[in-house]
Amino acid sequence: MSVQKIEKNFITITIDGKECIGKNGDTILKIARANGIYIPTMCYLTKVEPIASCRMCVVEVDGIEGMILSCQEKAVEGAVVTTNSKELHNQRQNIMKLYNVNHPLECGVCDKSGECDLQNKTLEFNVSNQNFSIKESHKKVENWGYVSYDPALCIMCEKCVRVSNEITGNEALSVSVGGYKSKIVNIKNSNCSSLGESAAVCPVGALVNSDFKYSSNAWELKQVPASCMHCSSACSLNYEVKNDKIYRVTNNYEFSSLCGLGRFGFDFENKNAKKDPVVFREAISAFKRAKSIRFSAVITNEEALILQKLKEKYKYNLVCDEAYGYQRFLNAYSSISGASLYSGDLSSIKDSDGIIVFGTRVNDDNPMVKYHITMASKRKRARVAYFHPIEDSNLSNVITQFVKYEAGSEEGVVALLASVLLNNHKISDDLKSFLDNLDIGNLSAESSVGEEELDYLVKSIDKKQKLTFIVGSDLYNHPRTVQIAKILGAIEKYSDFSLVIVPPATNALGVSLICSLDEKTEGYTIGYNAIGDFELSSLGYGDMDMPALNQQEGTLTNIDKRVVPTNAALSYQGYVLNDISNELGFEAKYTIDYTSMLPVKAGYKTEDFDNLPDFFDNSGIEHRGYPLTSESVKVVENFDEIEDLPTYDGAIIYHCNENTNISVFSNVTTAFKSNEFYLRGSPQFANIVKIKDGDDIKFNINGIKYQRVFKIDEGMKGTIAINPIFDMDLNKNQNISYRFNHLHREQ
Amino acid sequence: MANVFFSTWQGELIDNRNKTGDELQVSSFALPENYSEDKTSKAFIGWDGVALFDKDVDVVRLAMEYAAQYQIYSEACGRCAPGRWGGRILYDLLDKIARGEGSYDDIAHLKEVSDTMMSTSKCEIGKTVPKPILDLMEHFESNFNDLIDNQKASPHYKKKINYIAKVTAPCSDMCPSHVDIPAYIEGVRDMQFSESLIATRQTMPLAHTCGRVCPHPCEDACRRANLDSPVSIMELKRLGADYENDHCLPWQHPFEPKKPKNDGKKVAIIGAGPAGLSAAYYLALEGIQVDIYEELPVLGGEVAVGVPQYRMPIEKYNKDIELVTSMPTVNVITNTRINADKLKEIDSKYDATLLAFGTRLSKKVGAANEKMDMGGYWGAISMLDKVNLWHKYGIGSPASNELKDKIVVCVGGGFTSMDVVRCSIREGAKKVVMLYRRDEKTIIGNTTYEEYHEAVEEGVEFIFHSAIEEIFDDGEKITKLKVNQYELVPDPNGGRAQLVKREDGDFEMECDYLIPAVSQSADLQLLPQEWGLALTSWGTLLTNGKDYMTNRPGLFAAGDCEYGPMTIVNAVGQAKRAASVISRYIYDGKVSLTDDEIMEDHLKKLKVYNKKEKITGWMPGIPRIVSQKLSVDERKDNNREVNLGFSGEEALDEAQRCMRCYYISMVAV
Repeated sequence: MSVQKIEKNFITITIDGKECIGKNGDTILKIARANGIYIPTMCYLTKVEPIASCRMCVVEVDGIEGMILSCQEKAVEGAVVTTNSKELHNQRQNIMKLYNVNHPLECGVCDKSGECDLQNKTLEFNVSNQNFSIKESHKKVENWGYVSYDPALCIMCEKCVRVSNEITGNEALSVSVGGYKSKIVNIKNSNCSSLGESAAVCPVGALVNSDFKYSSNAWELKQVPASCMHCSSACSLNYEVKNDKIYRVTNNYEFSSLCGLGRFGFDFENKNAKKDPVVFREAISAFKRAKSIRFSAVITNEEALILQKLKEKYKYNLVCDEAYGYQRFLNAYSSISGASLYSGDLSSIKDSDGIIVFGTRVNDDNPMVKYHITMASKRKRARVAYFHPIEDSNLSNVITQFVKYEAGSEEGVVALLASVLLNNHKISDDLKSFLDNLDIGNLSAESSVGEEELDYLVKSIDKKQKLTFIVGSDLYNHPRTVQIAKILGAIEKYSDFSLVIVPPATNALGVSLICSLDEKTEGYTIGYNAIGDFELSSLGYGDMDMPALNQQEGTLTNIDKRVVPTNAALSYQGYVLNDISNELGFEAKYTIDYTSMLPVKAGYKTEDFDNLPDFFDNSGIEHRGYPLTSESVKVVENFDEIEDLPTYDGAIIYHCNENTNISVFSNVTTAFKSNEFYLRGSPQFANIVKIKDGDDIKFNINGIKYQRVFKIDEGMKGTIAINPIFDMDLNKNQNISYRFNHLHREQ
Repeated sequence: MANVFFSTWQGELIDNRNKTGDELQVSSFALPENYSEDKTSKAFIGWDGVALFDKDVDVVRLAMEYAAQYQIYSEACGRCAPGRWGGRILYDLLDKIARGEGSYDDIAHLKEVSDTMMSTSKCEIGKTVPKPILDLMEHFESNFNDLIDNQKASPHYKKKINYIAKVTAPCSDMCPSHVDIPAYIEGVRDMQFSESLIATRQTMPLAHTCGRVCPHPCEDACRRANLDSPVSIMELKRLGADYENDHCLPWQHPFEPKKPKNDGKKVAIIGAGPAGLSAAYYLALEGIQVDIYEELPVLGGEVAVGVPQYRMPIEKYNKDIELVTSMPTVNVITNTRINADKLKEIDSKYDATLLAFGTRLSKKVGAANEKMDMGGYWGAISMLDKVNLWHKYGIGSPASNELKDKIVVCVGGGFTSMDVVRCSIREGAKKVVMLYRRDEKTIIGNTTYEEYHEAVEEGVEFIFHSAIEEIFDDGEKITKLKVNQYELVPDPNGGRAQLVKREDGDFEMECDYLIPAVSQSADLQLLPQEWGLALTSWGTLLTNGKDYMTNRPGLFAAGDCEYGPMTIVNAVGQAKRAASVISRYIYDGKVSLTDDEIMEDHLKKLKVYNKKEKITGWMPGIPRIVSQKLSVDERKDNNREVNLGFSGEEALDEAQRCMRCYYISMVAV
């Protein structure tokens, strides 16, 4: 422990006469904000480390000569701070004058107008005349794909660079220093949609969303708070709407982030739905004759509860392919850990200094997990060990150890990890005998995870304060999924690791907790955003329309084990699931009447939808919905013997969507719609399959036929190719099969 | 002392404008009145004032040119609002006045923008650049007014004058390698760790090493010490190097290395220690062919075979070494001891030769009956060679064969002696004693607080104010020592205290191994007698300490064999300079320094750090962060690295304490 850490945890300072308590190590600005005291800033962004470029936040501290930069300087016990005085005002006013030197007077057509920090602070500091001038030089606007940059408008606050480096980790933006000529440069010539995160924090109109440019005045847009529906992070966002159209997505960028898909993939609504009584009658009769309901985990908790209630009443087989394996995995995990929910969340990832990622191509599977790993890497110097059969070049700047294992050998890998991570921990006798009986040499040889790699891992996380183990979708439909889940349960229970079991789809966790799922459908099947004999579709494809998640209100259960509210941004004219269930003997005026009925036994609260909070407080604490309670679960500690590890030799196909096009829903959005169905592989893959870049390739996996164009990815290695499946007919089979498969070519 | 016409340097106002003869005052500062041997300076302007050496200086243009440097040089410029816009406004307005288009409003605005820059800028450049400009505006008001009143250009507005500027910082100035410390700390602060490393490598290739075992003289010149305590500069250096290593990045060179010149020119370097490696690196960055000759089977010199594993893990040092050996024009020849004949041959075959063979002879302690071939008498250098070759490379045999359960007495007081005693503990010695002539405070001053305390914690017994009078042996090996004790007797007249032998203080102690670690000397066997090389009085190669050429043309010397036993960072700094001189010498046959190097030497003489300066605008009392160390039990019987370095949070917090004390200075020639 460093000297600093053993000092007391809280300090008291006085700001503008008010006594304020803060944490030891907090900056003056942080304490002021937490206590509701305003200090002006132009460059401060709460979610990143202090940038300190604008100098607006200077304050005076009694007994100290000169002005103190409150965003950067830590408060010292007993300090007496003045946030405003004539002299401070003068300096701040002068800084605003400087910011306004040569700032183009194009507010009339600037996208930022009406929500521009420069506009606001120019007024606030009463900059009515300009004493300063500089010879101006021409600066060229640059187009970076989803965003565009106008250096003439840029005030060099550097927020965008921080976000790019510290949060998204794309490391694309950098400050090109050079006096007055300094500007932001896109050093990687990136056109990645994650640059949207950088644009979101721009205080002026310098870095803006290309698609929003010149489309609307900011003040004409209505903000509808919602939760992102694309993945299980269900991030907080606002749909900004005018005339029943979403113009853009914004978020509370001060405290939270969005990925490119969340920010730009917003127009997935079911556009032309209408109430057709004939179709509705057909639907009701379909439900009456149906034996099964199959549904997608892109669904609200309330809808999931309606389906569960229908199941209970009509004895349907309730099938959710995306959640079934996850539910089974979670249950197996609980049987060892004794807790219904895994212990970690995004914030514990961010705060970790040691991270293991296993069984997920994390950058694609869940961009927010990747962002949080990036934050840990940058701020905590986290050791990040990435265990996967395929190296991911998008992670190279955050991982410190890549351990490649053989596809299929996950059971062996997790057993090896348990054997080294639980060494020197007090464990149960059953577990001890299980671990003692492991044939380490054999497991190591079969999985290709070297004992020296494990030694290195253990050494590198020695002395680390906060450890998180992240697992994902490769495991939930693995033939040995139960055993893998149990071993992970043991690792979490007996070691210092928190565990995050990343839900494989938007509300897979909610569905797992709310529904008792069946493995298979039988007989006549209703499909809700899934294949069935009678299909309800939010995409407008099916027999009857359903609202998309930007057209309905309800809650989602996200990766943070938090129940978060979402609201309808767009109108919807058709029927909803609640109409059907009302017709089938239930009674609820609105779907959200079910919010308070979510199962308490699974950790939900009997809270009404309208009472759910949805904001961040001044300290940046999230008050959005509520966190689930983890319930205790009966422990049955038994472990199977490790089975012979399967071998996946030769060419392998890995099902994986890319992070900007995660599902059928993302694939209808303007920004990410793709008609390019490709298989991406290394030169080595091309070699063994005897295929060239641009060739067509057909293959069959689990009875599904694929036709793809082969793309060589020079950044990839090995004989596993990546097969995005967002285009497949509602992903039916792939959601229930292990993600790695042998390539069986068809001619 | 310097003769000046006018000076405001460091608050000392000297105005000889209307004075003659005895009235003329001189400055008490070592201002650069002569730029180089053949050039005088007209003016010097910098962060703490302005000095004119010549009465015919165009002060308005001087101010304008200084403001222009701010735009050109400042690393920070463009990174804070007052600096980015303010700096440009200073220049624009001064230029306007200088070209004869100024107004009194411009003067007012200059003062106003200066005020905002001085009170709110991010770095010291922004805060200090206005100072000498305001000085000139105050003391030469009439010169400014004249131009405004008559709307005329300043006298030398269009004259060709050479303005030579340099950015420095107190820490960088004090660092023998002149590492751009604020830049690498800023890299950590911004979490741009590659940038941090690139900043370090501009002048310091051994980032892993000097992020661990540097005695950090920079921290003695850290302005933060004037406020509370110095920034932990040294440890922040590791971050960038570790980042490169952890993320398997390609080598982060300070600039794209130049293509191999392949022009037949080549340089020989004798010794692959810190000096040899550093010189090789900077020559190789220029594309120049280098052959390094090394006596040992391993590279790295004393840091490899002298500094123990627990302090400097060889895996990390090897990264620094690999950086050098990865350069396409670096060729290494190990296991090759150079003698006088061989050196003559090298000298004739190469365009230049750099001697960097260090000081590898242990000096005697100077006791009666001191026989170097007596059993149990073991020079520190050879003892550490044995320990390190075994632990790091598996060469030889473990020193525990000799030292286990033995009584080890070391005579020393510097880093080497600390390594000896702490290694002896690790090799299982029964008792380890350090005899030191002076006191605890001095030993800490000679090494570091951490080093001394860690040794005490591990069980080393320190006996201060003591020296061996006589060594006893049984004919085969040492048996015991007679030790005298001294006390420090203050001089009643207020002079320096004297060490006086205590009459009652003698004692005898058992001893199996006596390890002298008093000092080392250079092994000069390889210098051909007939060359008549000039040596220092302490037996090292003599150069002028600026270009590092010996009195034999084309033969250079850097590092310990030039300076005497000193630090890694000193060796690196000398070698970098020597490499620079050599890179020109082999083409033009001239020994020359760049303007940047000349300025570096001027500033060093002037002294950048001002211990008495009062710091304003920073919150005092934010504690210096101490990195986590292995506990005594975790470390004392093994070679695990003791210092675990900063955690991410600690590093960011510590980097945040840096005040970015960049300064610009400029000479008009």
